[in-house]
Amino acid sequence: MVSTVRRSWTVPACLAAALLLGACSTSATTSSPGSSGAPLVIGASMSLSGDFADLAGPAKKGYDLWADTVNAKGGLLGRKVSLKIVDDASNPTQVVTNYQNLITADHVDLVFGPFSSLLTVPAATIASRFGYAFVEPSGGAPQVFALHLHNLFLAQPAPIVTSGDAYAAYILSLPADKRPHTAAYPTADDPFTTAIVTRIRQRLEAAGIRTVYSQTYAAETVDLSPITTRLVAEKPDLIISGTGGADAVAEVKGMVQAHWTPKFVYFTGGPNDPTFPSKVGAANAEGIFGTSDWLAEAKTAGNADFIKAYVAKYGGTAADIDPAAAEAFACGQLLELVAQRTGKIDNATIISALHKGSWPTVEGNLTWDADGATQGADIVVQWVGGKLLPVYPPAEAFAKPIAKPAWAG
Amino acid sequence: MHLLLQATIAGILVGGVYALLASGQAMIFGVTRTVNFAQAIFAILSAYLSYTLFVDIGLDPFLSVLVLVPAMFAFGGGIYILMLRRLSRSSAELALLVLYALGIGVQGVLDFAYQTNTRVIAPAYADSSWTIAGYQIPVVRFYAFVLAAAVLYALYVIRQHTKLGRALRATTQNPVAARLLGVDVERISAIAMGLGVAAAGAAGAVFGMVIPFNGNSQYDLLSKLLSIAVLGGMASMGGTIVAAVILGVVESVVAATISPDWSAFAFLVVLFAVLMFRPQGLFGRRLRGAL
Repeated sequence: MVSTVRRSWTVPACLAAALLLGACSTSATTSSPGSSGAPLVIGASMSLSGDFADLAGPAKKGYDLWADTVNAKGGLLGRKVSLKIVDDASNPTQVVTNYQNLITADHVDLVFGPFSSLLTVPAATIASRFGYAFVEPSGGAPQVFALHLHNLFLAQPAPIVTSGDAYAAYILSLPADKRPHTAAYPTADDPFTTAIVTRIRQRLEAAGIRTVYSQTYAAETVDLSPITTRLVAEKPDLIISGTGGADAVAEVKGMVQAHWTPKFVYFTGGPNDPTFPSKVGAANAEGIFGTSDWLAEAKTAGNADFIKAYVAKYGGTAADIDPAAAEAFACGQLLELVAQRTGKIDNATIISALHKGSWPTVEGNLTWDADGATQGADIVVQWVGGKLLPVYPPAEAFAKPIAKPAWAG
Repeated sequence: MHLLLQATIAGILVGGVYALLASGQAMIFGVTRTVNFAQAIFAILSAYLSYTLFVDIGLDPFLSVLVLVPAMFAFGGGIYILMLRRLSRSSAELALLVLYALGIGVQGVLDFAYQTNTRVIAPAYADSSWTIAGYQIPVVRFYAFVLAAAVLYALYVIRQHTKLGRALRATTQNPVAARLLGVDVERISAIAMGLGVAAAGAAGAVFGMVIPFNGNSQYDLLSKLLSIAVLGGMASMGGTIVAAVILGVVESVVAATISPDWSAFAFLVVLFAVLMFRPQGLFGRRLRGAL
């Protein structure tokens, strides 16, 4: 009997304590992070393993480099920046868990975005639910902006869906006798790739370039030999391939094995990776197109200092820098600018500030619409003479586009 | 037609690797009456070891088979002695669960050691191919097929023409009778397990050159192995080989002509169609209480 009475008091007491703790927790989350001298903790989930690991690695380098750079200058508003980066294994479920933990358990002051549109969609939703600003480096697919989140800001000059526009414009700028007559569109089933490929395809079909093969395959597909077998059988003049990175390498290897070279090859992802030539063979990389949001040669805000710091920290040369590192670095630059312009660095201030005016970063001068989509344009790049060079539009080009040479084998 | 034949060639070549992998599974099932749910992860383990030998000391993946096959034989025999000896005949279901858990455990270790990034073993000749009558024969896939055929032939010789093979077949047909006739069934079962896992080791070493892999690849591979086993007949080595080639060809042709997303389903359609008329599989015998 006694134990029953005790239990009847114990349960409500525990619930009350839990509610009190929950209230304290909520209070901690919504407090202004700009009001103390404690380190400013910024949380991010990154794909340190899994399908996106090769591509997300450079983004993590960009975050780390920015933290080192800003701390060398005394931090943000006198507070040292501390990054808390956790692995999501490229998994959309894990990324949700990670941001929930970062916000509700670790009580980080701010968050940065993960890598890829696939992971940005669920992550941004979590950040929005808790009122966190969500400055993110790589979630540029239409599905991201379709969320209509007021707290989201892409740190690239253009949304992903338009990143292939410049390449479509290049193809359509060619004289009729040099323009491709047929095209193939294989793409991984990923918001990032399908959006670009679909948009290019619509423009090229409207211009009379006949589609001979179109295939969307599961993003986790690792054996792409059936795709390349079909490409070789159809022999299109132009291949527009929606790739993340590893599948671009696999497609090139498949075509090399088949001893068949198309006239034009464009990959949505892969060619921008500085290690791409080492993966497919330097001679095979020659003539392959991509688009880029960042160039080492660009005269954007802080670009020279970024390159200098990157080479000092990680070695190599400017040519070894992956644009994903610049995108992540730009996320940090935006926080610095908000702190400089407003004197505050809390989530509400970041959200309201970034919705007004233009913000100069290594990715260019960024402005956003209400959904966080930027308003600029990407540049067509091509491997020419062992270097990834801007080739279109002519005003931005460092070299003229070259014809695709035969695979070297 | 050219596309169809090209895809068929690709399917036959990769089907050879599946056949080697699945034949090990069939041997283990035949003798121990246990479905080895860890067969796929053993192949992935071997692929990782082959990758390490290639990256760290430059050992060609085909030569790594000479190291990995004995190592995996000992590994498989050890697993039987330590984990399955008391279970496989008294409780096949429990043995199955133990092997499934072992598969998860091995994947955890591999994920920890190698991370989950997809890897591929790429020797210098990885992109080479021959053109014969207008059809491409990738060098790596052809050599992988030849290796698989050689190992399968070696297994056939062992089974059909050696004293050990007679004991293996006797234990497969009737373990109680084999024991009464003086066969050390436990020892034979450990050897069968070792041979089956060694086959996974040989297949895994070359699998890593044919298809990019990580620890998670085991589930896709396991579903293929189980489908092959059911189609060919659970304990039938010959049926397993035929079923593996059918799987390779159907998947390759459907992926190239229709869509990669429909390839697995297309094989299941073939599987269901066969099982409607032969529930024991193409070459299987009806096994009372086998599962």
